[in-house]
Amino acid sequence: MIQSKYLRRALAGLALPVLAATLLAACDSGSSSSAAASAQGAGQSQAKPGSADQIALGRYLAKAADCAACHTTATGAPFAGGVELASPFGKFYGSNITPDKEHGIGKWNADQFYKALHDGVTPDKHLYPAMPYTSYRSMTRADTDAIYAYLMQQKPVAVPTRAADLSFPYNMRFGMMFWNVPFLKNQLTDASSGKSAMWLRGQYLSNALGHCAECHTPRGAFGQLDLSKSLTGAALGRVAAPNITPAGLAAVGWTAADLQTFFATGIAPQGSAYGEMFPVVHLSTQYLSKDDLTAVTTYLMGDQPLPPQPVKTINADAMELDAGKRLYTAVCAGCHGFQGDGKPHVAVAMKGNSTVRNADPHNLIVAMLDGIEAQKFPGTESLQDMPGFAGQLNDKELAQLSNFLRATWGGQPASITADQVKALRMTTAAH
Amino acid sequence: MSMTIHPITMHINGKPVGPVPVPEGIMMIDFLHEYLDLTGSRLGCGQGICRACVVILDKPDGSSEEVRSCITGAHFFEGKKVRTIEGHAQRNEQGEVVALSPIQQKFLEHYSFQCGYCTPGFVNAATVLVEKLKRQPVTKAQLDDTITEGLNDHICRCTGYVRYFEAVKEVVLSTPGLVKDAK
Repeated sequence: MIQSKYLRRALAGLALPVLAATLLAACDSGSSSSAAASAQGAGQSQAKPGSADQIALGRYLAKAADCAACHTTATGAPFAGGVELASPFGKFYGSNITPDKEHGIGKWNADQFYKALHDGVTPDKHLYPAMPYTSYRSMTRADTDAIYAYLMQQKPVAVPTRAADLSFPYNMRFGMMFWNVPFLKNQLTDASSGKSAMWLRGQYLSNALGHCAECHTPRGAFGQLDLSKSLTGAALGRVAAPNITPAGLAAVGWTAADLQTFFATGIAPQGSAYGEMFPVVHLSTQYLSKDDLTAVTTYLMGDQPLPPQPVKTINADAMELDAGKRLYTAVCAGCHGFQGDGKPHVAVAMKGNSTVRNADPHNLIVAMLDGIEAQKFPGTESLQDMPGFAGQLNDKELAQLSNFLRATWGGQPASITADQVKALRMTTAAH
Repeated sequence: MSMTIHPITMHINGKPVGPVPVPEGIMMIDFLHEYLDLTGSRLGCGQGICRACVVILDKPDGSSEEVRSCITGAHFFEGKKVRTIEGHAQRNEQGEVVALSPIQQKFLEHYSFQCGYCTPGFVNAATVLVEKLKRQPVTKAQLDDTITEGLNDHICRCTGYVRYFEAVKEVVLSTPGLVKDAK
């Protein structure tokens, strides 16, 4: 869940003189009040250090924290690092966190591991906030110890961590200590309301472990999480992270039950996981217990969830809609269904689809331009690839198609212009 | 959405077709089968995976490409030029086949197909490949990869891939101008 834009902003902040002022800001001592707050949900067992129970807990927590997303490549050894993260300033590579003494974390002790997750500081360097220590900071010591114990049980892999290839001044790691002063917070703000045990457990799972905020919360000028807008969505990568506040989820038709199904299986009536969210389901949420998924959805939607909003009726220009409908029947209906119902195991429905219902057309347009890779979901479920239409449909046609989808099944105005599509056409990215 | 009828006009295998009134949501393969009695294109998976159903779209710039007729609406082809499996062989005035296309002939000679269900798709894929090579020849060293890439998306459940490959390679090597350094 590392995003170059975030990093760019964070690092750009270092280069600005104004940062000097932040160095004068009061620095929190670093004792985490959130740890106490979350203890009731964390480290459910006070497992004996090094015990099978602690290692099993660590394995579960490592999945909940989605470590593999950045530390395991598709073809590499578990946790041996190497996941490439592109940015305008160069490339980052997930580090080797196997117990290899030379290349991994084999020489670290549990205190040092805790400090890395809690403070973003390893025995040899400051971490870039691409490693979401800003969220992991809320992890309890018992839980970081469990993850540490689990990682130490992994096979050591003698693969060196590739150094980040960054240009000046972004390659100055020590600068992160100045960034941390104002921006490393002990607690994230909540987008929902609740006080039940389930909500509190969900708060810990979502904020500390799942680090949802890292993608779904907008960032300020210095790349810091804008905690006044928690989980309201952010256009970080090619696929934007949508608004997952209670109001944002309700607005596009999510229910707690559907959201739980989505986390467990990757597919719900509102659509399937794609973009950055697919690996989250693939590597992390599908492995959470039913109770923990209930907790996550309770936290995201609140103890008193808002009712899902019905799709509004939209009045749109008939000619525009007709043009879009013709395109839909020509190149979309074969998979998504003439009536937008989708086809089981083939393509998701457009009717009720949360991307179609999203007021921001970004992801809808990107999906049509780039397509979506074939994906294997938990169990035996899979969806074939969706082809990208960047080479087949021009900007005007894709705008017409977007408008037809939005007005017919999204409850959104048919206001997309060809220029909006043009702005999102890829120049570099993988298709 | 309400179902409406839209007339459709196109060129298929060099002949004008239409206007034919057809429901707006109909897929191309159903249009070929049910309205034109062109039943050679095969409906396999029905979801764009197997490519048994592909037809050839002839573009205004002289290039050609495959289009999956099972997931592409008939109206997508409005005003366009299409070739189906029925359009490859030469026919006399009575409509009788008098000569196969080079691809079809080599498929026969190599016994490339067994049950034959995927063959229309492979004929179209190979034809598009040959036509692409006429515009953009490759070296002999590139040929195997080029053929593999050209046929790769097509599924043959009888696993006739090797013989399809060999037949296409023979056509390419025996057709002047497709391989830069062919002897």
